[in-house]
Amino acid sequence: MVSEFKVLGKSTPRKDALEKATGTARFISDIQLPGMLYARYLRSPHAHARIRNIDTSRAESLPGVKCVLTYKNVPKRHPMRKMEFLLDEIVHRPGEEVAAVAALTPEIAGKALDLIEVDYEVLPVVVDHLEAMKPGAPLVRESGKDNIYRGSEISKFSNMDEDGYLKLGTGDVEQGFAEADYIVEGNYLTPMQYNCSPNPRSVVCDWAGDNLTCWGDTQLPLFLTKELAGSFGIPESKVRMISHYSVGGYGGKTPDKTATLTALMAKRTGRPVKSVFSRGEDFIGTHHRISYDIYHKIGVKKDGTITAIYSKIIAPYGSDTGVPCLCQSIAMVGPCNMMYEWKNSFAESFGVLTNMLGYGAMNGFGAPEAIYTVERLMDEAAEKIDMDPVEFRFKNCMRYGDKALEYPQVMNGPRKWGIVGPDLDSFPELIGKCAEQADWKHRWKGWKTPLAVDGHKRQGIGIGIGIHHTTFGPASAIVKMNQDGSATVLSGAVEIGQGYGTALCQVVAEVLGLNYEDVNATLADSGATPACSGNVGSTGTSSPMRAAKDAAESVKQQLFALAAPQLDTTVDNLEARDRKIWKKGTDEFVPLGKLCFTNWQITGSANTPPYWTVKDEKSGEVIHAYAAAATIVEVEVDMKTGKVEILKIVAGHDLGRAINPVQVENQIDLGLVMANGWVRTEEFMVDPKTGVILNPNLLDYKLITFLDMPKSEDVRRFYVEKPCAWGPFGAKGFSETAMTALGPAIANAVYNAIGIRINDGMMTPKNILRAIEQEQGASK
Amino acid sequence: MALQHITLQVNGSECEVLVSSTETLAEVLRDKLGLTGTKIMCNEGECGACTVLMDGKPVLSCMTLAVDAEDKDIVTVEGLADPLTGELHPVQKAFVEFSGMQCGMCTPGMILTAVAFLNENPDPSEEEVHRAMSGNLCRCGNYRRITESILAAAKEMREGATVNG
Repeated sequence: MVSEFKVLGKSTPRKDALEKATGTARFISDIQLPGMLYARYLRSPHAHARIRNIDTSRAESLPGVKCVLTYKNVPKRHPMRKMEFLLDEIVHRPGEEVAAVAALTPEIAGKALDLIEVDYEVLPVVVDHLEAMKPGAPLVRESGKDNIYRGSEISKFSNMDEDGYLKLGTGDVEQGFAEADYIVEGNYLTPMQYNCSPNPRSVVCDWAGDNLTCWGDTQLPLFLTKELAGSFGIPESKVRMISHYSVGGYGGKTPDKTATLTALMAKRTGRPVKSVFSRGEDFIGTHHRISYDIYHKIGVKKDGTITAIYSKIIAPYGSDTGVPCLCQSIAMVGPCNMMYEWKNSFAESFGVLTNMLGYGAMNGFGAPEAIYTVERLMDEAAEKIDMDPVEFRFKNCMRYGDKALEYPQVMNGPRKWGIVGPDLDSFPELIGKCAEQADWKHRWKGWKTPLAVDGHKRQGIGIGIGIHHTTFGPASAIVKMNQDGSATVLSGAVEIGQGYGTALCQVVAEVLGLNYEDVNATLADSGATPACSGNVGSTGTSSPMRAAKDAAESVKQQLFALAAPQLDTTVDNLEARDRKIWKKGTDEFVPLGKLCFTNWQITGSANTPPYWTVKDEKSGEVIHAYAAAATIVEVEVDMKTGKVEILKIVAGHDLGRAINPVQVENQIDLGLVMANGWVRTEEFMVDPKTGVILNPNLLDYKLITFLDMPKSEDVRRFYVEKPCAWGPFGAKGFSETAMTALGPAIANAVYNAIGIRINDGMMTPKNILRAIEQEQGASK
Repeated sequence: MALQHITLQVNGSECEVLVSSTETLAEVLRDKLGLTGTKIMCNEGECGACTVLMDGKPVLSCMTLAVDAEDKDIVTVEGLADPLTGELHPVQKAFVEFSGMQCGMCTPGMILTAVAFLNENPDPSEEEVHRAMSGNLCRCGNYRRITESILAAAKEMREGATVNG
């Protein structure tokens, strides 16, 4: 079939490939400015303490030290929706910033930290969330009556009840359970995970008069711009935020208070200041993936009909978070109310504060954690009725027309359910294709039958499915034509590694009939680029890229209006291709370079339409933006060592349309590798007594390496292209969905291999061996 | 801290720098010579991002003292392309063509480790590539494309070597 597109759907090389392969791509930590100072941060060794006295005089008198900040000389301001202050006299977790120093070199700044004398009054500590919920537990926040999160001065939730609960459901779960032939239930603890951006937190600030330039390594530049403008009482027009290149954030990468403190030191010294965290500091001083203590109950009929699901999510918050209630809301909507055709579903959740590092956004933002548990209980339900787990999912998974909601409605305001669009008919197709490609029919031997047994090694196979929203939200873009007929796209979104800048240029080139090389982008520079909420929630393709397409359409109409009289025709009789505007069906054209050779700027701009205006043609219901995934995995478990090896993966994804197939596959790989690490190797160890993170380095915290994935030929990725109603050319963001299905598939495959379900942690050798020992003990 | 004057051979040029005895090669390359293509991801020898070539061997520049690099031939990612024609090294070319990067932070270290490896083993299997590269971490999980890039570069280099006699 001849493709209808010239540039779209082609695996064009990345726009940034040459820079990145030659070392000329400039990251924020690479920036050096004349006279620049280096900042370092003193951190609390205690999980909870009041600073009785802090003496910085020796540090300040060290030659080369230019500025020392403590709670005594910084404004009392909450950074980025957090409860904590920029610097405070009470610290609530180990690693919390106590002081900041700017000096001529990082070494001098480090030495100065050693000279700061802090007299701490150590306060009672609670680290375990269940302990924190008990009456009489030490209070993490002095202002609270207990440790349940009920919102704060700056974060209020109208749908939260007085006990801190958010609740969401449809139908009648009690009725549903009464109709069930069987009830299965389970309590799970999901693992934390360190985002581990390859570039630890980095920010550079420089003032010229009262104009601030901030180079922030962030995927949320707009938030950070607002934060800095607010912190310094200056209009946003005096803050230039540049976030190019940002480096892989995998969720909520933003230097929140670090940017404000850096800008403050720059202002006080009159010199540029750079803050770059060490790896260990980034580990203990940024955030981690949320962990859930989660209970589900599912009612199922013998014929495979699911009658109800109930979910209760306890969310350990740590001492603070910049995204309170967001992860839980996402979990409550998609995984707990939408993912299957549940007629009766109800989820409730609350957060608990403890004296350890707080959670933040990480790839999937609350959904994979709940899917990791729902999918295991779904497996149990299928086993209970002795139904093939693939068939069970195929029968019940969400499809076009099923109910859907935007997650912010869980927290605030009225709720109005809409539906998922025709694109979600991809779900059964994904499951079917996955099964076919994995040869499920032959590889699945039935419940309680491992795929293979070879001495002390057992192989298992398992399936997991997942969904995630693909935020269709407010974003803008500008496309401006240059005099030679090439185009520049201005977008406030961030190239953070996902390939946004590449796909963006492909979309605009396709609309304007330009070559890929003719279109280039200026990204994430508030001095030039229009508003965009940032690259979180798989929004890049869905929202800012949609805005860019609309902006390019606007440009095209302007070009047509200019070309029509020259070609002696009307605008509806024109088309753009090969860098020319053609009179349809003739060989008459005007080159774009000729049309654009003018000092008048041809510019198009566009905003995304509000999500509630995207409606289903058939039903008139509002379509909500979601994507689906299915994964089948084969594992081998060594019953002597407890080690789990991943042997084969088949991963299917729903993405509307693949703008750049190679980048699509790379984002699928990111999800698979990250999920593999999350459930198998990346153990986030916290001392239960002190809240101290015990392995804040890449030796003891094991990322997946070249050796931890199956051979290339044993990982198969495919995608289903059912165009969505909102993204450019029907494309939608899917990168977080890519992370959702593999985790539970691994857990289910491990169960198939060893016949034991591990619900309280990761698939680490330690947990596998413990489970085997318990099972053997119980059977004796 | 006592500073000393050393001469480094970096990318074919002599560079005189004042360094302290504790400064690492990575710090000197980045902060004093402005060669920020060498990336610091962990700064404790765990990730491979700061890899440079020293007398043709890959070393972790964050674990190498600058003073120990004196009189050694250092190649960073900035020195891989042909200085006269600007033509990229085949490994760089393959990383561009096969999309061997996403965020790009690990890329220079990956490329230099691969260059050294292919000099030792011009015709590796996929498994050999995985083993040779296992000290280089890619948080974007781009291992498949990186492997593909390295295997393609190996082929290109073998064929180039044959053509050039």
